[in-house]
Amino acid sequence: MEAMGDQLILATGGYDHTIKVWQAHTGNCIKTMRFVETSQVNALDRTPDKTRLAACGYQCIRLYDLESNCTAPVINFDGVQKNVTRLGFQEDGNWMFTAGEDHHVRIWDMISAPPHCSRVFDCESPVNAACLHPNQVEIGMGSQNGNVFLWDVKSEKHECIVPEVDASIQDVAISPDGHYLAAANNKGNCYIWSLCSSPDQKMSTMRPTKKITAHSRYILRCKFSPDSRLLLTTSGDGTACLWKTSDFSKWRELSIENYWVWDAAFSADSKWLFTASSDGVARLWKLETKTPTREYTGHTKAITALSFKDEIIRKVNH
Amino acid sequence: MATYSNQHWLLSHIRNSFISTDDTGMCETVMLSDDMPKHYLRKFNSSAGVESHRRRPLKPPLVSTQTERNIRHPDAPMQEVDFVCYPGLDLSDDEEDMSTHSFDIQMYPEVGAHRFRSNTAQKLEKLDIAKRRAARIKSINYNEEVQPPDDKDFFKRKAIPNIKPNISPKETKSNDDDLSDEGVQSMLTEQLAKSPKQTQNKFVEFARFDGTSQVGMQTKRINVYLNMLPEPDRNYPLKVCVLSTAKIQEVIGFVCYKTSLQYPDVPLKSLQHYGLYMTEDNDDMEDFPPLDNREPCSKFGFSHLTLAERRPLAPVTRVDYPGQLGTKSMTSEDDKANLADAAVRALKNITLNGGAADPGGGATGGGGGDESPHDNVKEYEKRLLNHNDMLEAPMHRSFRLNIIDKRFFKSDVTLGISGERIEIDQYKNAKFWPQKKPVSTPIDAVAHCEIVERRQLKALLRIWLKSNSSSSSLPSGCTSAPINASVTTLNTGTGSSSAGIAHSPSSPGNSFGFFSTTSNIRFKHYDFDTDTHTAEQIHSKLNCILEMRSSELRREFLQQRERKLERQQVKKQLKL
Repeated sequence: MEAMGDQLILATGGYDHTIKVWQAHTGNCIKTMRFVETSQVNALDRTPDKTRLAACGYQCIRLYDLESNCTAPVINFDGVQKNVTRLGFQEDGNWMFTAGEDHHVRIWDMISAPPHCSRVFDCESPVNAACLHPNQVEIGMGSQNGNVFLWDVKSEKHECIVPEVDASIQDVAISPDGHYLAAANNKGNCYIWSLCSSPDQKMSTMRPTKKITAHSRYILRCKFSPDSRLLLTTSGDGTACLWKTSDFSKWRELSIENYWVWDAAFSADSKWLFTASSDGVARLWKLETKTPTREYTGHTKAITALSFKDEIIRKVNH
Repeated sequence: MATYSNQHWLLSHIRNSFISTDDTGMCETVMLSDDMPKHYLRKFNSSAGVESHRRRPLKPPLVSTQTERNIRHPDAPMQEVDFVCYPGLDLSDDEEDMSTHSFDIQMYPEVGAHRFRSNTAQKLEKLDIAKRRAARIKSINYNEEVQPPDDKDFFKRKAIPNIKPNISPKETKSNDDDLSDEGVQSMLTEQLAKSPKQTQNKFVEFARFDGTSQVGMQTKRINVYLNMLPEPDRNYPLKVCVLSTAKIQEVIGFVCYKTSLQYPDVPLKSLQHYGLYMTEDNDDMEDFPPLDNREPCSKFGFSHLTLAERRPLAPVTRVDYPGQLGTKSMTSEDDKANLADAAVRALKNITLNGGAADPGGGATGGGGGDESPHDNVKEYEKRLLNHNDMLEAPMHRSFRLNIIDKRFFKSDVTLGISGERIEIDQYKNAKFWPQKKPVSTPIDAVAHCEIVERRQLKALLRIWLKSNSSSSSLPSGCTSAPINASVTTLNTGTGSSSAGIAHSPSSPGNSFGFFSTTSNIRFKHYDFDTDTHTAEQIHSKLNCILEMRSSELRREFLQQRERKLERQQVKKQLKL
């Protein structure tokens, strides 16, 4: 197979215990990697140098090398309890965070050998979601008992808010411009806070801004587009909705009828969207026209996670 | 080394080697009837008049005969005396023939391995591989103690670049449905622009049959030679791993998909142009038809196959028997003439290599498919179906339908039809009615099947059987237990509708014992209510079986019926 260096790849994982790597623009599957036999893939992320793919699932966290032909993992975490729901990397790849149903969010130092845990935060409830603030020191977290946390890993301070009682937070997202934090719950509601950071390098403060009744059912993911102009929510009602962050009105609705839309990822210019759904197909949508442009078929069961890393190649002047 | 110059031993050895290494079984069938070593030995024994007990003492002089033979002219005819039985191999005596056979030599699937490694050795190797693989995997303990970073700058706050001034809510609001160009272009946008939709793989839908790295699903590895590749490449197989559940058609799609990825320059036609052919592992395509597209690939055990364009069907003489008269016994001269006509017509239809003129070849052969008129294809398919019907008729099949019990009551039953018997069993989930005993009737006792009544969707199907309540003229096969059971249920069935399997002695049109005047065979019938399609299927299947068997009983039944019709007509005329 050709080297993956200069081509854009999409990684998907799901209930069939496999992770597939696709050539993004053609839809061809380049590589299939076997995940843990007892687990689905909860989340995928690539290291910032794009050479490794991290995946987490039930009682497992694994890192795969994308450059070799080997389909076995290069790093495996032992003794993991319960589901690991999210993971992600600091922008230089110095550390990785993992969030799990064991109530903990852990920070892993990835530059020292061997990698080790350098911070732990206890959410006192299973953690469903975590995301990194673009300032690279704050982590937004959402737990099953409905708490939304903002944790400063440097100072180890944190803030906690309960937007809705008796609802489980399913996902949290922070906009790339650092202005908003969004948290989506299992009732179909999405809460937005404005984040204000003071110049004296203290922790950001959260100010409630908006509540969107986004879906009739379970929201599975929420994400901001790279240009921070759009907020995306994907749901168990078979749709993915795009909201303008200017006024949080609905801009587009993408529909995959009768299937859950589990995950999604934007292209760097915010013009394209990949979706992962329970029909086992990943799709690429042109947002402007709401048309599915590519389909990535190969998974035999629901796709629950995907990862796509794009690049801005040029600025268009007008 | 004495053994190598002993003809008897050599012959036996060659023979045994052939038989034990040939896993097709063909060689054994051929050679079984012709046991040369035994044959020679017998010949030698009888002509030389050597008693069997003298064979062993014969061994010492063997050396001298050998030296003698070595100088003998090689072309000289073999004399009996040359053929010396090798001790222990003399299986010539018929009385010990069976007992002295060596037990079957079992071949393991891996042919060519001389000695099979023990399980322990294999296990050790597996462990070793796992160990080496594990050595490359770094392991991190998830629960280890927290070690705060030494470097103060490990967590470094990054200043977020202030967002461009042109993004203000007012500006985007001006154009409601357009988020306006951000002024950036991503690599994805560029790559997508470079690869228009046409370049997307047309076989991509078959990618989902990829079996690599699938966990918990049966997969199958096949080496496929690609016939459409240029010379050097076509000699090397494409290794694919597919899901065992994939049908051959889907395997072809997947192979095409893989091919298009690996050899993007090779143009591929659409799916129906290709077939998978059986192949030796040395790339020689066998002269068999391609594997059936509809079968799952797990059904076939081939490790090597060839993907090639479908060959036109070899010209086969198909004779279409008008009204299936070919299956009946031909009695009249007319029938014979019809059959001959049909045969001549069929021969005329054949053109070599399935050209467009051949309605049959047109449907399956090569690219000619689109030229042949649609009607021809239909007709061909219909004929194939007829043919298949006949082949499949004796195979067991079951149908779900309603039996008409007495005049009104219906109950849900399964009717099983095979070449040997028909079985009627009450459907398991049927409620309300008490469970009735299943009935099995040997096919010898079945006389006829007809569709009595056709309505728009429903049809009334009637199956005629020999009734046991009369003295039987067909003792064989009819005295078995099942038929007796059916008769007992028949009797109780007339008494009350709830006991015994449904049978309709009093249903309309039943003329029980009507035929008894001319023959002592009585017939009874079961009536079923079902949809037209099922009725026709059963009708054609059962009559196919009956026609092929051309039983006495059926002839008797049809004759009786004819006579009855004649009499009715006579009566009518008399009345007129």
